[in-house]
Amino acid sequence: MTDHPSTADDPRPLEAWGRSSYLPSTTTHDGERYVRVTRGMVLTPLRVVGWLALLVLFVAVPDIASLSSSIQLRVLHQGVLFGLAAVGLNVLLRHTKLVSFGHAAFFGTGAYTAGVLATHFDVTSMILLLAAATLIGTLMAGVIGFLSLRHTGLYFSLLTLAFGQLLYAIAQGQSYVGGSDGISVRPGDANQATLLGADLAPDVYAVVVYYLTVLVVVVALFVMWRIVNSPFGNALDAIGQDRTRAQFIGIPVRRYVLAAFVLSGVYGALAGGMYGLVQQHVRPESTLYFLRSGEILFMAILGGFGTLIGPLVGGIVLVFLQDVGQDFTNYFDALTGLVLVLLVFGFPRGIVGSLQSGSPLRDRAGALVDDPSVAGDWVQDGADALVAALSRAKRNLVVLVFGVR
Amino acid sequence: MLGMVGGTAVAAALAGCSTILGDDDGAVADGDADVPDEPIQAGLQTYTEGAASVLGLQAQYGAEIAIQRINDAGGIAGREMELDVAHEADAAVENYTQFVDEGKDVTFGPISSGGHAALAPEVESQGVVNVGTDGTVTTLYEDTVPDPTYSFRFQNYDVMECVTAAREAVSRLGADNIDSIAGINPNYAFGQDEWKFFKLAIEKLVGDVEVTHEGFPDLLADDMSTHITQVNDTEPDVTFSSCWGGDVTTLMNQAAANDMFDNTQLVGSVLYSAVDELGQDVVEQAEAFSGSRNWYWDFPNGSRWSPNEDLFQEAQDQYDVVPTAHFMSGYGAVTAWATATEKAVQLTGGWPSQEQIARSLEDHGFHTPAGYHVMGSDHQGKSNAYSGRMEWDDDLGRAVLEDVNVFTPQEVAPPIGTDAEAWVNSW
Repeated sequence: MTDHPSTADDPRPLEAWGRSSYLPSTTTHDGERYVRVTRGMVLTPLRVVGWLALLVLFVAVPDIASLSSSIQLRVLHQGVLFGLAAVGLNVLLRHTKLVSFGHAAFFGTGAYTAGVLATHFDVTSMILLLAAATLIGTLMAGVIGFLSLRHTGLYFSLLTLAFGQLLYAIAQGQSYVGGSDGISVRPGDANQATLLGADLAPDVYAVVVYYLTVLVVVVALFVMWRIVNSPFGNALDAIGQDRTRAQFIGIPVRRYVLAAFVLSGVYGALAGGMYGLVQQHVRPESTLYFLRSGEILFMAILGGFGTLIGPLVGGIVLVFLQDVGQDFTNYFDALTGLVLVLLVFGFPRGIVGSLQSGSPLRDRAGALVDDPSVAGDWVQDGADALVAALSRAKRNLVVLVFGVR
Repeated sequence: MLGMVGGTAVAAALAGCSTILGDDDGAVADGDADVPDEPIQAGLQTYTEGAASVLGLQAQYGAEIAIQRINDAGGIAGREMELDVAHEADAAVENYTQFVDEGKDVTFGPISSGGHAALAPEVESQGVVNVGTDGTVTTLYEDTVPDPTYSFRFQNYDVMECVTAAREAVSRLGADNIDSIAGINPNYAFGQDEWKFFKLAIEKLVGDVEVTHEGFPDLLADDMSTHITQVNDTEPDVTFSSCWGGDVTTLMNQAAANDMFDNTQLVGSVLYSAVDELGQDVVEQAEAFSGSRNWYWDFPNGSRWSPNEDLFQEAQDQYDVVPTAHFMSGYGAVTAWATATEKAVQLTGGWPSQEQIARSLEDHGFHTPAGYHVMGSDHQGKSNAYSGRMEWDDDLGRAVLEDVNVFTPQEVAPPIGTDAEAWVNSW
């Protein structure tokens, strides 16, 4: 999405591409036609078609889910929501290079805010519940961010983990939020939230909330694209590369990193609020436990944290994998580990990252199409590497057993 | 009317009394035009792995045996039952909706209280009957779903087993001998709920008591020594624990090692759930009193009540476990549904709708090897509650309950329509 025609051919800055309007239009460059979606977002026609196809697929999910009982709307929906939280986390991971182990805290805060308002204050409006969830989650991100960002690296990660577990323990222990039984998000007479005052039948409710999610996700992705391609996003990149130098060139590092942290919290809280509306019941294990934070992090890596929509894809894939895995094996948790191993060795750029142009996978696929005989070379290379590794292992073993001679 | 005979055979099979009806197993209905031919699809969610599978597998075994017996008796109006088991994990609602999507006729489970609280409202909106095996939180049909239609629970609930434990303590020790109590309960809603009700009930039964220690170890904690030291230092007359499964093993092993049983009398609501893991010396040292929820396999004794003995033998032969109360919760949940459905088949003359099955489950009475149960109009199953002294049995190689006390639902459960806390407070 962030790709635009190579600026090497065109010395003009990106903004010069049709500065005049924010509305979508077409534009010509080097004799090729491009679609200019908004300022700075210029796509080839092929990409536009790809994006539209993706959007249609996204919108058609409820219909797809009705085709097979092994695909469930609720599961895909959950995947999208965790993916949205992962998109937020990705701001930190991709740009400022900070690893947060406590991102479920904002997800959980959002979900619990919806639960508390629905149960104790009988707030029925979906929009109000979402807005409050986002607001409270954002405040939480502000507080946790302010306290955690005093440190970087491992200490930052551990602090976020600590705050996350603190919230988990509070949710577990407080009967006001239902302790380990959790709290339901079922306000009003219809026993569920209403959209613009309308009561919805249970099956309609699931679909309507899904489309609300689609809307939220599309807007959230667009906003995120704007942010990471803004000067602010560039400043975050600079901070990620070298904090000290970024400070030297006048970037207010701490303020910017805190802003990025809060921004990622907004996404987490919004996703959590939506999750509350979907599940209609919020429990500590499923929203606040540190393993959830780990999963959100894993989703970003699985989908490809170097990309914008990678984390979203990662979320859908992971949640789906866990759900389907349960049908096949009791050891479905091991699937996650297996996928992680495959990922690290085979596709370090994640699912979306590996499909992008310039990735080793694309290069290899391209080479294979050009000349299928390279496959033989690869097998030969692989075998050579294996032989070399075995002989190294043998040498090491000899050294270990008999010592260096 | 052949259906009636077949259905009664099912009821008799599930009650464990194959002799009641004589030998008319052959007369099973399948000719009724309104009853579909294909098997009944049932879904059970329970813990099939991890620490909680100590309970979860028992529920699964119980449900499986009940379904075997139904099928051996020719099914319900000629329809056999097939069971699909899902791992409960943290996904009670997802599992249920998946069952519904797959077209299940009925669902059973879950084990966890939190999962049950999340599930019950979903059951109400989807409208496929769910009979809970456990998930015993008191508030389920008081606050969470105050007016249920499709959601039922077979197992006795928290307030019943705490009142049972309190009555048990008083009957064993005497009200005059209980002046101080301590609690060691798992640190989540169940443990907190149980401790609250035990404290409330015992204060009502014996007057003011001094609480010398309130400990809440985490679930699956590997060290409970701080709580044990506290109990040893303060020597309360009674120590109450709602720990279950692996936590019981940890608590009792460490308590034995630190001579806690010399200083206090341990009374528990579900200590017996760890029966397959406790060692002889610990059991003998503890002389603990334990509840067994709604069933104890040796009461009434097998020689006086053969269905009990038969079920125990079947569980031993098929699964090599001593069946516990969770075994009965799986067995009973299936039985409640099957007998109510068969009744509805007879009444409607065809296959009943979910709503008709739900209506016939209300105020439905039925037998299992545990005795007679009633599914109340509040959708809460109520059965006798059992409690006894844990003693080692050399023949079985495990602990058994001796001197079993039986408490009727009237003694330990609030009347329908009464809030549990208000009821205990009204004594």
